[in-house]
Amino acid sequence: MLSNFIEIVGITDPGSVRQFNEDNVVYDPDDGVMVLADGMGGHRAGEVASRMATEIIIERLRTSVAEFGSSGDQHLPQLAVKQSINRANDAVFEAAEANPAYHGMGTTLVLAVFYDNRVTLAHVGDSRIYRLRNGRLELLTRDDSLLREQIELGMISAADARGSHNRNLVTRALGIEKQVSAHVREDEALPGDVFLLCSDGLNDLVEDADIELIMNALNSNLPLAAQHLVQLAKDNGGSDNVSVILAKVRKPFPAATRGTWIDRLLGWLLR
Amino acid sequence: MAKLVLSTSGTIVHQCFLDQERVSIGREASNHVVIDDPVVSREHAAIFQVGNDHVLSDLHSENGTFVNGVRVDRHILQHGDVVEFAAFNLRYLNPRASAESEMDRTILIPALSGSAGSGESAPTSPGFVAARSSRTHFPKGRVKIRGGARDGSIIELDRVVATFGKSGKQLAVVTRRPHGYFVTHVEGRRYPRVNQQMIGGEARLLRAGDVIEVADEQLTFLLD
Repeated sequence: MLSNFIEIVGITDPGSVRQFNEDNVVYDPDDGVMVLADGMGGHRAGEVASRMATEIIIERLRTSVAEFGSSGDQHLPQLAVKQSINRANDAVFEAAEANPAYHGMGTTLVLAVFYDNRVTLAHVGDSRIYRLRNGRLELLTRDDSLLREQIELGMISAADARGSHNRNLVTRALGIEKQVSAHVREDEALPGDVFLLCSDGLNDLVEDADIELIMNALNSNLPLAAQHLVQLAKDNGGSDNVSVILAKVRKPFPAATRGTWIDRLLGWLLR
Repeated sequence: MAKLVLSTSGTIVHQCFLDQERVSIGREASNHVVIDDPVVSREHAAIFQVGNDHVLSDLHSENGTFVNGVRVDRHILQHGDVVEFAAFNLRYLNPRASAESEMDRTILIPALSGSAGSGESAPTSPGFVAARSSRTHFPKGRVKIRGGARDGSIIELDRVVATFGKSGKQLAVVTRRPHGYFVTHVEGRRYPRVNQQMIGGEARLLRAGDVIEVADEQLTFLLD
C-alpha cells in the first residue's frame, strides 16, 4: 500500500463565478496515482472531456501499476503513462467525432505516478505541476499556452503578462486531434517533497509566493493546505474552476518493499 | 471588434477597426492611422494583434509614445486606454479587453513557434507567468504575543497565512480573508483556545481583542 508512504488529497471547486465545474480530479492513494483535467468545449462538453480523460487514465494506470513490481523495468511507468494518455485521447476524440454536441471538446491534463522512489509526471495544456522541496516551490511544467510562448520569445515581459487577455489560449489539448503528444518526465521523489497538481484557476489567481507560503505553513495538515489554496483562489475572485491535488512523500518507497505480505503486515501494525 | 478613435481638442477626426495583424501610426500618409503633426514621427508606433491582445509598440519614435500619461516601449492595450500624440488622443475601445471580462473559456490555438513541439518538458524558473493581480482588499490585523520565545513582540498579519505555536506539538494558523481573519487548528492533539474556550476543527472568525492560546504563546488579536 503506497498510502503508507505518500499522502494524497485532492479538491475541485466550481469557483465563485461559474455555475459548472469542467475540472475533474481523481486519485488513488493505494496505487500512488493522480490525474487532474480542465475540460474545454461548449455546452458543458468540457465536463465530459475531462471526466472521460481522468477516468480512463486512472483505470489504465491502476492496472499497469499492479504489474510494475514483477518486471523491474525502469521504463515501465513512462510507457504506461504514455499509453494511458493515448487511450484517453482516442476515446475523447472519437466521442467528439461521433456526437455533434461534443464537437471540438478537449481537456488539459496533469498526472503523477509514484513508483520506486521516483515520480513520473505528465502534462498537456496549461494545467501545472509544482514541487515544494526544502521549503522552495518550483514549477516543473511549461504551459502549452500562447502567453508562455510570448514571454519566452521576448514579445512581452512576465510583468506585462498580468495585463494580457491571452490566459485562455492553450496551444495543446487532449482529445482535439487524432493524436496528442504529452510532455512526460521522470524525477526523484524525496521524503518531504510535496507535489502540487493544479488547474489554471489556481495559478491565474494566486501568486506563486502565496502558494509556497501556504504549502510551507500547512505542510503538517495536507487537507487544510489544499482547502486554503482553493479558498484563496476564490477570495481573489475565483473567476474559473479551481482544482488542486497535493501529494506528500512521507518516507522512501523502494519498489522491493511494496506489495509484499511483510509490507502489508507492517503497514497494518504501524497504522 | 476593437476600435481606435482619434480625436483632437474633443473632436473626433478619424475612427477605424483593428482588423489587421499590424496597424501603423505616424505622420506619413502610408500609415493606417495618419497624424499630421510635426511632433509625430513618420513611422511612430504600431499595434500588433497577438491572440486576444493588441500590443502597442513604439517604433523608435523621436518623442516617444505615451499611454495614459506614461511613456511606454511596448504595452498591452486595455479597454479605454488613451495613447497621446502631441495634441491628438488615440483611444482604444475593446470591452472584451477589460479586467472584468475574464470569463473567456479556454480555446485551443496553434503554437507560435516550433519550439513547443517536442515531447519532453524542461524545468523552468518558478512563476514566469504571474498571477493576475488581485484587487481584493484585505483588512489590516496584527497580534501581540505574550509568553514563549517571541514574548512582547507584535506580528503584522500582512500575508495570507501566519502560523503560531510549535510545529510537531500544537500549531494554529491565522488566515487573512476579505471579510476578516480566521484561526484554525493545524496539528497537535490539543486544539487552540480562543477567549479560554477550545475551538473545534472549523475555522473561527476573530474579533478585535480576542485572545488565542496555542502552545506556550498567548496572542491578542488587534484590528485597525
